[in-house]
Amino acid sequence: MIYDLRRAAGEVKWLVTCLLATFGIAYGFGAWMVGLYAGFTPKSVAATYAEREMSMRMPPDTTMVLHHPVTLGELAAADEQHVVDRNLLVQDTHVHVPMYGVIAAALSLVVLGLAVPRWSALALITLLFAAPWLDFAGMWLTKLASPGYAVVTLLGGWAMGAGYMIVTALALWQMWKPTKGVAA
Amino acid sequence: MTKWIAGAAVAVVLHITPTVVLVKRPDAVRTLLPGAEMFFADDIHLSDVDAHRLHEAVDWSPEDGVLTFYTGRQGARVVGSLVFVRVDTPHGPLEIAVGFKPGGAVAGVVVTKATVETKPWVLEALRAGLTDAYKGLAPGATPGGAAAIASSVAALSHYMAEQVDKGVARALAAYGAFYNHVSTAS
Repeated sequence: MIYDLRRAAGEVKWLVTCLLATFGIAYGFGAWMVGLYAGFTPKSVAATYAEREMSMRMPPDTTMVLHHPVTLGELAAADEQHVVDRNLLVQDTHVHVPMYGVIAAALSLVVLGLAVPRWSALALITLLFAAPWLDFAGMWLTKLASPGYAVVTLLGGWAMGAGYMIVTALALWQMWKPTKGVAA
Repeated sequence: MTKWIAGAAVAVVLHITPTVVLVKRPDAVRTLLPGAEMFFADDIHLSDVDAHRLHEAVDWSPEDGVLTFYTGRQGARVVGSLVFVRVDTPHGPLEIAVGFKPGGAVAGVVVTKATVETKPWVLEALRAGLTDAYKGLAPGATPGGAAAIASSVAALSHYMAEQVDKGVARALAAYGAFYNHVSTAS
């Protein structure tokens, strides 16, 4: 293949390096934000995305009221757990999926310039795109099917993190590794 | 190190629109139901017909088809009631608490949640006196908070004020149509 990052011009290598560094920064702050609002365990992810438990699942034939006492402490609990309901998840999916497609495409372009076997490149590209699919599939399954599917979202997270780390490590190594007889 | 890598890996997949609590719910309750010592919730489970009626009126359906009004009492006296309403905007959700006097007029409005992005716009609107415009409104009235502050805030703050107007309109419609107008089952 003509496009080979090992032999690319210095400015191309620098562009790729800056792109990967920028994604790394974004991922780091993403971790911080998730820690603040959703947490890192299946339980906390399920609490964020699972449908709220109601005493009635179907609309009643006639409107009716359940009257019960509450405490200020129970009201405070609503402030503590960030919840993404169905409408908000529709919005999040609409906004985020295209952006994650663009990120996966950008990383895939880096993969195309790596000196790896064809099957490895195909596997990496698949991993980069499958990660957000798993991510959002997990969120929707958690909401619509069972809170247990929160692990699918976490799996998607691991997949995306792994994809980024592998691409970054290979790209940086192949672009910047010292070459015998050539100044770095 | 492993923990950090794991965190970063998980982070990139959890897409959340981070909300910011401007006023904690208990504090909003204390503000809108001053002196109340006991609190009761009325979970109004809307029938399909009523949910459709509300949607037609204010282009909104409450989450899971359930409206929850909170009533505050001081002894036997009803201090008032309130409802939390969420408004979804392209910049993330907004939550407001609308308090009602026992007679049905709006006692006050508190913006309880915004997002990292919208918080400064909301705060500017509040500083301009947005919520003053809602006091005394009764079901059937049209909230005009955004218009009242239009000349003193920037465009995005005015936009958020319009979203608060929308939330107050939803609360007024819900209160007028359903609160105290339905049978109660404990």
